[in-house]
Amino acid sequence: MLKVQDLFKQYTSEDGTPGGGVLGASFDVADGELFTLLGPSGCGKTTTLRSIAGLEQPQGGLISLMDTVLYDAERRVNIPMYERDIGMVFQSYAIWPHMNVYENAAYPLKVAKGKRLSASERREKVRSVLALVGLEDYIERPSTQLSGGQQQRLALARALTREPGLLLLDEPLSNLDAQLREQMRSELKRLQRETGVTAIYVTHDQSEALAISDRIAVMSDGLIMQIGNPKDIYERPTSEFVANFIGTTNLLRGVLNADIKAGNEAPVDTPLGKLLCTFTADVLATPTVGVVIRPENIIIAKIGDDKAAALPDTNRCDGTLLTETYLGEIVEYEVGVSDEIVLIRTKPTESLTPQDAVTLHFPTSQTLALIEKSN
Amino acid sequence: MTTPNRSVNNGLFSGARLKNLFGISPIVVVLASILLVLIAPAVIFLFQSSLHETQFDGSFGAFTFQYYVDLLTSDQFLTNLINATIYAVGSAAVAISIGVLLAWIVERTNTPGGGWVLIISIISLGIPSVLYTISFLMLLGKVGPANEILMWITGAEDPLLNVYSLWGMIIIEGIEFAPLSYLLLSSVFRSNDASFEEASMMSGAGILQTFRNITLRLAQPAILALLILIFIRAFESFETPALVGLPGNVSVITTDIYESIDEVPANYGQAGAFSVVLLFIVGALLIWYNRLSRNAERFQTITGKGFRPRVMDLGKWRWLTGAILALLFMIIIGFPIGIVLWVSMVPYYDGVSLEALKLFTLDNYRTVFNSRSFHDSIGNTVIMGAAAASVVAPFTALCAWLTVRRYKGAWILDQLATSPLIFPAIVMGVAFLQVFLNLPFGLYGTLLSIILASMVRYLPYGMRYSYAGILQIHTELEEASSMSGARQTTTFLRIVMPLVAPAMVTCWLFVFLVSVKAVSIPILLAGPKSQVVAITLFDMWENGITNELAAMGVTWTGFMTIISLIFYMLAKRYGLSVR
Repeated sequence: MLKVQDLFKQYTSEDGTPGGGVLGASFDVADGELFTLLGPSGCGKTTTLRSIAGLEQPQGGLISLMDTVLYDAERRVNIPMYERDIGMVFQSYAIWPHMNVYENAAYPLKVAKGKRLSASERREKVRSVLALVGLEDYIERPSTQLSGGQQQRLALARALTREPGLLLLDEPLSNLDAQLREQMRSELKRLQRETGVTAIYVTHDQSEALAISDRIAVMSDGLIMQIGNPKDIYERPTSEFVANFIGTTNLLRGVLNADIKAGNEAPVDTPLGKLLCTFTADVLATPTVGVVIRPENIIIAKIGDDKAAALPDTNRCDGTLLTETYLGEIVEYEVGVSDEIVLIRTKPTESLTPQDAVTLHFPTSQTLALIEKSN
Repeated sequence: MTTPNRSVNNGLFSGARLKNLFGISPIVVVLASILLVLIAPAVIFLFQSSLHETQFDGSFGAFTFQYYVDLLTSDQFLTNLINATIYAVGSAAVAISIGVLLAWIVERTNTPGGGWVLIISIISLGIPSVLYTISFLMLLGKVGPANEILMWITGAEDPLLNVYSLWGMIIIEGIEFAPLSYLLLSSVFRSNDASFEEASMMSGAGILQTFRNITLRLAQPAILALLILIFIRAFESFETPALVGLPGNVSVITTDIYESIDEVPANYGQAGAFSVVLLFIVGALLIWYNRLSRNAERFQTITGKGFRPRVMDLGKWRWLTGAILALLFMIIIGFPIGIVLWVSMVPYYDGVSLEALKLFTLDNYRTVFNSRSFHDSIGNTVIMGAAAASVVAPFTALCAWLTVRRYKGAWILDQLATSPLIFPAIVMGVAFLQVFLNLPFGLYGTLLSIILASMVRYLPYGMRYSYAGILQIHTELEEASSMSGARQTTTFLRIVMPLVAPAMVTCWLFVFLVSVKAVSIPILLAGPKSQVVAITLFDMWENGITNELAAMGVTWTGFMTIISLIFYMLAKRYGLSVR
């Protein structure tokens, strides 16, 4: 469907030094998929999106949509943005204030080459799309009288009226307040499923990305760190960066004495002792391998309890409970083990109090040994 | 997410399919060429004329430095330079004193009647400078009410004030610049957080102490910048020195330029040398001003979170400030307009008296309305202003759009279009006079020549409005159009133009108003068939046709005030500044 290969676009800042961009990104998006570009600001996700749209001209690489090459640095192909079969929803919505709701949504059908319709067909089409996003009662309303959420829907309708081959969404929810954001999030997903349109979604909000996407590409400093479905990205990160960026995690510095291939298990020396870890990517022998484990995957028990006695002997260490933070559905513990502090989350069923001597178990399948950044 | 130097990827204007010059869009090259063709010849001919002997027919003779040598070795030049400096400093001081007082009363206190001050701004943009200066000559002249009142108070036999002097020039020019000074200072005072003043009052300071120690001190950088701005404007002004200074034998550089050209035979070389010197002085001052005003703006943004533009309660003192407000209103607008109205309705002007009331007549208006030359002059002026504005508004809109959207090389357009700012109007007149005298197109003396020079002169003003208008359009509004499948031209016509239209209309009105107000350019360029209102008024005054002048002035000012009012309403509605 969409193919992006070795996409390169580097900015230079005013003083001539390199100033971010995308430094070689490759990915494929399948038909009907909702694909998310996720990363902190300045990671190159917006540049990637704008390059696909044609709003930026890349300096290298290849972009093709279905059978059409949109950009190819080698063959010097660069289809102008207005000839690309792509609809886009902007961060600011970009609803034209001098047009009403209908005119905004109908605009692509008036100007896009090969999408022009007769007046009656156009009216029919715009009505059905506005109905789809729930704006059918606002057709004649001046666009300046719409609320933020309605503008968002109209921006979506405008991008969909021409039935584009690809829909781009540039942080579309970032201007909405928290409650509306969650509501629009599920609605976006529903609309995407209903229309079956292939979509690329850009966000810096990891929970939004996990909730909405079929697949996620996590980006950092112009490079794609990992591509996978939300479950993989969360549970099987292949780099420290991804593990840290998505959710909360414990990170230990370890020493690895042998080269280990992805999918294997091997022991790593950590400040908590030797831990048997799972490898999600190939890692070479290094004195600074990262060992990560999510707080909810560590098993905690009071020394002397039955539960403690039942824990396996491997991947065990003892420490002191430092703090307990009650958060309602879960409880957070900080446990001091030698000089490290380990964060643990459990359901509030344990009866532990600070200063208790506790023992911790790190299940091997969820204790991951990772390099800092993968590519 | 913002990234530095985000360039646009566009189809048509970048000439994706055309061979282009270093990636610069053809449209930028075309616009830059037009600007160069308009501006460069004026600059070149101006310098040339000052370096070549003047021939009788106006063409260039042998190369010479004589004009500069004459100028720098003459005592008169030094005297005039000192005159000009005193005049400019004095005018700035008067304008700023009135401006500070007005702005403080209106913006920072609960004095009643502050809203009326807007009328000052509206009328002052509509009234021709010549007429405004003349109205003060009527007020302060030998037979004017000011002298009569003074003679009545002191019992003196002869008039005490001689307005045709340096101080007369200072007072008149200072009052003329007071509205501008008020306008700029009011925006400074308005953006001050009231809590700064409240904190001072809570520390035990009185209203005047607070005004002196807090309000004025906070506005100090802005006031300094404004001082230089008005200094420059007065230094390069022509109307007041010509009408007030020359009859009293007080010359400044701008009147020297005018006299070099007005004498027979015209000494273009000398005028050129004066102009070049004035150009460099003003250029240097402008650089200084730009630096200061940038600082002033930095200083202005000190307002924090709890910003409340609240005003100070003056208690019963507000009636005093109200009276001051009324007095200033009368001085700036009431008396000048009043005297012109009076003069327009009497058969001859011999001061303001009850006896004269019996002579009231509309004959002057009848004479003026039936005069062909009046019709011609009004027609010419409207054509001139409308033509200049109609070119400047869309042209600068396109330049500003290309600049704001960072088309490659478009910064040149911005630089070129704002460059005429360093030309004092009279210098611009001299420069274009040289162009038209030396070009074989027969443009000399035509209305078209005035239009061309005015266009160039007011390009920077147009640029300022267009730029502000374009800045308000979010880039994504245009990108959304491209992503809808619209080509760049479609986007420009269907999205950019409608969105920038209010700014363009405002820009049009402003350029129209300032170009029809001015004297300096047409006085050097106009021929017998291309008279404009400002010149007609100027000539009528020189020839002593005072009453008909007043009738014509009242009519014209009424017309222009309506246009000015429309301009203010539009500018306010679309959030554009009205400087």
